Amino acid sequence: MSDEPRQEVVLITRPAVPGPPNPMDTLREVISTSLGMAAYTASTMASLVEQTVTYAVESSVNAALDRLVPAIADAIVERLDLTDIVLEQVDLNRIVNSALDTLDLTQLVIDRVDIDEIVAQADIDRVIDRVPIIPLANFVIEEIDLPQIIRESTGGVATDAVNAIRVQGVGADQLVSRIADRMLLRRRQRKVEVPGDPESLMGESTRAESPMEEELTREQPADESLMGRMRDDFTSGDRSARITDPTREL
Amino acid sequence: MATFKEYRERPAENPIAVIHANHVLPPGARPIQGQRAGFVSRAIAAGIDVTLIFITVMLTAAALWMLSFIIDPTTAASNEQNRVPDLFIMVAYGYFLNWAYWTICWALSGRTIGNLVMGVRVVSRKGERIGWGGAAVRSAFCAVFPFGLLWVIVSGANRSVQDVVLRTSVIYDWVVGLPTLARVLGRTAYEPERVEDGQ
Repeated sequence: MSDEPRQEVVLITRPAVPGPPNPMDTLREVISTSLGMAAYTASTMASLVEQTVTYAVESSVNAALDRLVPAIADAIVERLDLTDIVLEQVDLNRIVNSALDTLDLTQLVIDRVDIDEIVAQADIDRVIDRVPIIPLANFVIEEIDLPQIIRESTGGVATDAVNAIRVQGVGADQLVSRIADRMLLRRRQRKVEVPGDPESLMGESTRAESPMEEELTREQPADESLMGRMRDDFTSGDRSARITDPTREL
Repeated sequence: MATFKEYRERPAENPIAVIHANHVLPPGARPIQGQRAGFVSRAIAAGIDVTLIFITVMLTAAALWMLSFIIDPTTAASNEQNRVPDLFIMVAYGYFLNWAYWTICWALSGRTIGNLVMGVRVVSRKGERIGWGGAAVRSAFCAVFPFGLLWVIVSGANRSVQDVVLRTSVIYDWVVGLPTLARVLGRTAYEPERVEDGQ
C-alpha cells in the first residue's frame, strides 16, 4: 500500500509581481473608459430631452383633445341612431337577465316600496266584484258542514236523551254486577272483554295494542262440554283476574 | 279552517271516519265500548222489544176486530167473542213475531230497537255479526227461555245462558250513526286500499 505512487496537489503562494507596463493595454483601457463615459452621457441626455418633450407635448395635446373629443363625439352621436344600434347589436335579454340574476327584486321591493300605501290606494271593491260569491258561499257551507250542524242541533236533544238512558243503564249494570259479585264472594273483576272492534270505535285501533293486552284478552283453552262451559263461565271472573294479576299467586 | 287550496287538494276522506266523527261518544263511555253489557241494559233492551211486540199484537187484534165488522156486521151478540182470535193464537202469534223480529235484527245489524236504545249489540264469539242461522236459534232460545238472561247477574263474564250455549256476546256499542251504511261504504271504498297496504 505504501509502495504505490500517490498524486498530490500542493498549493504555493507567491507575492504578485507587476510586469512591465504594456502601452497597448493602457491605450485599450483609456479608449474603453472614454467610450463608456460617452455612452452614459448620451443616454442621460436622451432621457432628459424625452421627458421634457413629452411633458410639453402631452399638456398641449391634452388641452387640444379636451376640446376636440367632445365636439367630435357630439358630432358622431348626432349622426348615429344609438338606440337602433343598441337594439340591433346588443343582446338585451342577456343583459337584463344577468342584471335580474344579481338582484333580489322581492327584497328590493320589500325594502323600498311602501306596500301598505299601495294597498291603501288600491280599489278593493273592483277586486271583490270579480270574486265569485255564490261558489264561495257554497264552499263555506260545505266546509263547515252546515247541514250536519242543523242535523246535530235538532238531533242533539234526542241523542242526549238516549245517551243519558245508556249511561244510567251502564251504571245500573255495574251496580248489579258489584252486588252479585259481593254476594257470591267473588272479589275479582268480571271478564267482559270480547274480541273484535265495536262499531262505535270503528277506524280507531284501540284493541290489543300491546302484546301483554293481546295475551290477556286471548281465549283460554276450556272444557268444551256445555256443563263445562257453564261452570267455566261462572268462574271466568276469577280466572281472568288470575291472568291479569299474576302477583296474586305470589 | 281550510283554505281554498287545502280544500281543492285534500285527499278523499275515509267515509267511516266521517260518519263516526259525526257521532261523538260522551266522555267516559269510550272505555266500555266493546265490553259485555250487564243485566240491566240488556233487560231494558229486551223489555223495549217485548213491549213493541206486545203493542204490535194488540194493534193486530184491534185491526182484526175492526175488520170483522166490515166482513160480518150483523153477528149475534152471543157470538161477539169470535170477533178477536183466541188468546192462544194471539200468544203464538206474538212469539212468532218476536222470534222473526229478533232473528232479522240480529242477523242484519246485531241490534233490535231495544238494543239500539240501550246501545248494545249481539256479536259472535269472534266479535262479528251472527249469521241468519245463529240469529234464528238464539232468537228462538231467548223467546222460549227468557229467564236465561238472569244468568248475566251471576255470570263471571256477563253472559246469559243463551250466550254461554251459543257462544255469543252482547256488547256495549253506542254508535247511533248508520252502521250498515258505514260498513257498505267501508267495503266499497276502502277494502282495495287496505289490500294494497298489506302487500
